Amino acid sequence: MTETTIRTALATAVGDVLESMFFLDTLGEAGEPPAGADTVTVHLSFEGDPAGCFEMRVARPAATAIAADFLGEDAASLTPQQSADVTLELANMICGAVLSRIESSATFRLGAPRVVADIVADDTREPWPEETTRYTVETGSGTLTAAMRMETRTCTATEKYAS
Amino acid sequence: MAYRVLITDDSPAMRSFVRRVIELSGFELSACYEAGDGAEALAVLKNEWVDAILTDINMPGVDGEEFLRRLAADELLCGIPAIVISTDATQNRIARLLALGARGYVTKPFRPETLRAELERTLGVPCD
Repeated sequence: MTETTIRTALATAVGDVLESMFFLDTLGEAGEPPAGADTVTVHLSFEGDPAGCFEMRVARPAATAIAADFLGEDAASLTPQQSADVTLELANMICGAVLSRIESSATFRLGAPRVVADIVADDTREPWPEETTRYTVETGSGTLTAAMRMETRTCTATEKYAS
Repeated sequence: MAYRVLITDDSPAMRSFVRRVIELSGFELSACYEAGDGAEALAVLKNEWVDAILTDINMPGVDGEEFLRRLAADELLCGIPAIVISTDATQNRIARLLALGARGYVTKPFRPETLRAELERTLGVPCD
């Protein structure tokens, strides 16, 4: 499986999920947010063929706007828990959509998505591992980065904690 | 006609979304029960009759596959149509869930009209 294959699947899955279930037309591919940006990071691992890890980093204003669209609520009335629940579900859907695209005949099992970093101006956020394939999109309220890594090595301590 | 449905998903956000889609699709609901996994769903079904079940697969506790097995093994509950809603669009999984008795399978992401059509087909009635 090539990086191009995974990246194409990431781009397609992000666009499809946001358009179909969040009623959001993205504004195209964007650069990744700078270190220290206010983002929410969700991680989930998956088992099967292939196995690996998925991570999503979404700008906090974008996470709030996306949650409001999904629940049909006003952004100002959302609780932090509601916003977190939707962000977790968004990660779950994107990861599942990517895996279904790259291995439609394989069986996989998604782990439970978890917020692993939800710190304003998180300067301590871990950099992406080199072998991670990433795709960043502008949502109109901030960027969303989806990243996937197929399992060929031991997960980091953070990833073990998350799974 | 008003329908009674049970939505089983470990994500509160997803349960809320599915309920909203059903209501916006024109289905009148006289009752909409929610459960976080198959065990909670079976507990609801001990006391409440529903016209249709919409269930996720990947859930902690009793997952969607085991939930469908238990439904099929229960002579009182086996006739309730169940629609699977899942991110898993792999052919093996879809075939396995349909073989276990699922009447329909909707893969996430889905458009609201897709879920509406699946409900109409499963319940055997068009809605406005």
